Amino acid sequence: MKEPVARQGVAAGPPTDWPASEFAALYDEHSRAIFYLALRFLGDPQKAEDATHDVFLKAFRRLDQFRGEASIRTWLYRIAINHCQNLCQSWHNRHVQASSDDLVLESAAAKTDSPLRVLETKELGQRIQQTLDALSDEYRLLLLLVADEELSYEEIAALVGQSSDAVRGKLHRARKAFAAHFEKTV
Amino acid sequence: MKQQTKLTPKQETVAEQQTQAQAAVEFASSDELLRFDAAQTTVPPEITQRLQKSVAHIPPPLTRTWWKNLFGG
Repeated sequence: MKEPVARQGVAAGPPTDWPASEFAALYDEHSRAIFYLALRFLGDPQKAEDATHDVFLKAFRRLDQFRGEASIRTWLYRIAINHCQNLCQSWHNRHVQASSDDLVLESAAAKTDSPLRVLETKELGQRIQQTLDALSDEYRLLLLLVADEELSYEEIAALVGQSSDAVRGKLHRARKAFAAHFEKTV
Repeated sequence: MKQQTKLTPKQETVAEQQTQAQAAVEFASSDELLRFDAAQTTVPPEITQRLQKSVAHIPPPLTRTWWKNLFGG
């Protein structure tokens, strides 16, 4: 897999000449989070680019449906998650295999309390992607959401349709599986 | 022609140690690692250009009172 184009260091400027300047502000504030979720969830920079475009286009079309009951970031995440999950379902890719991998990795003696040591940050993106690719969609999504410090456990729980306690439990196992697999990517 | 500066063995050792120190990074958890990764990621500008073209053909939604509340506009 090729490395994300996003790592080339080109900053995305806000689309200031859009008809809706508020939407430009929204894009500027949240596009990185949505692109990152799509990038690491789908594992393909081009698909992530397409998905990010489609997610914000859907958001633009549905702006009048947003009632402000959740944060705008959570609302965007919901659109993005649905979009990415639909893409994954249409590909029929790796779900069964990854789920069994999770069980193997969970049972492995993963040192979850040990720090994850990285000698070469240059290859870090590839290692992270390899690790995430080995996990189930559910674990991958939970890990990506909890990495966003702007989201609370309650918001993550609402996004994945589970209780906060269930999310905490699954996150513990997901982190363990991530650590176990990440060590193998050295 | 520019002459190359030759490092002494001591300088080479120091330089090597500095390189290793820069390259080795530790992350306390997968959360921290993914946050670092996210922070390194930038959005390709092509998306902005594509979105500009896409939304240009769509009239903005009419009802957006929540939006004004959100941004104070």
